[in-house]
Amino acid sequence: MANKLTFESVNCGDMLPEVKQHITQEDMWRHAVTSLDYNPVHTSPEWCKTAQVFGLPVTVMHGNQTMSLMATVITSWAFPVGGRLKKIEVKLIKPVPEGSTCTYGATVTEKHPIGKGQDFVALDLWAMNQDGENVAVGTAQVTLP
Amino acid sequence: MGYLEEMAKYQKTEKQEIFSADFLERQQIDDYEFWDEIEIGKESAVPIKFEVKAEDMKAYAEGVPDANPLFYDEEYAKKCGYDGIVAHPMFTTQVLFFLLSKGHGSWIRTPGSRNPGQIIEWHDPIRVGDVLTLKTKGYDKWVKRGKYYMRYQSELYDQDGKLKMRGFITLILPKSRADVLRFVKGEHALEA
Repeated sequence: MANKLTFESVNCGDMLPEVKQHITQEDMWRHAVTSLDYNPVHTSPEWCKTAQVFGLPVTVMHGNQTMSLMATVITSWAFPVGGRLKKIEVKLIKPVPEGSTCTYGATVTEKHPIGKGQDFVALDLWAMNQDGENVAVGTAQVTLP
Repeated sequence: MGYLEEMAKYQKTEKQEIFSADFLERQQIDDYEFWDEIEIGKESAVPIKFEVKAEDMKAYAEGVPDANPLFYDEEYAKKCGYDGIVAHPMFTTQVLFFLLSKGHGSWIRTPGSRNPGQIIEWHDPIRVGDVLTLKTKGYDKWVKRGKYYMRYQSELYDQDGKLKMRGFITLILPKSRADVLRFVKGEHALEA
């Protein structure tokens, strides 16, 4: 299916394949090392017991990891055919504590036939926790061949 | 074993090994710029550069995690029509944290900071061999419901002066050095 993806083949309302991720402290440590964001709110369970930056006594997932997984929904869909992520706008609504399981998805909302090489689609993005609450929402623009 | 030692087990790249990971270290905090000191409109070019290596890009994709071979497999990337592997779009996080360790822009490292959202535009994919420089500008700051917000603009350029990424990044920060130091000790400070 991915090989047939083109600007012409996409329709408003199309839903992209979802990504699901359970987050452990090891995942957050790995993300801290690779993003170089070692903020203790993500990395130090001991510090979080008293600091409670989000009103929670536990570590929470990096906001940029949430955004990265929202971007991954797009990269998995569009990058293998030469698509490109032009822009993303994300609002992080709720903290994601260690032990959460989130699902990330996107829906095509607009088609912009600007011209060959510049045609792009707009998408709504969402990240939802195991209780069905949105932890992040956003929009994206993706060029497609 | 402390949390810093736990994380050291995951280090794989040269940059990860030289990066100072203790964001609670007093000496690092002394070099930060705090919400009440931020000068809106001031633009600064970070003096150090980020030379992109394949190991940096691969490590970031693994840490998302995103197993797309486009981020580490040259042959696969060429089959897909690229001239080589490209970075995951949010790889720019690693670049910013590497480059912003003190002064204007160091807000992203502040203990007690929160990330309510971002707008990022990508103008060209990041590739192996790119040498990236960063310009940062305080864009706005405001108080809302007792919280101290700020928004800054970041722009990454390659070695030819080509714009690669522009971001508008919003943060909620502790107000002052004293508030950050209370956070370092593990005390509440945001609503103080």
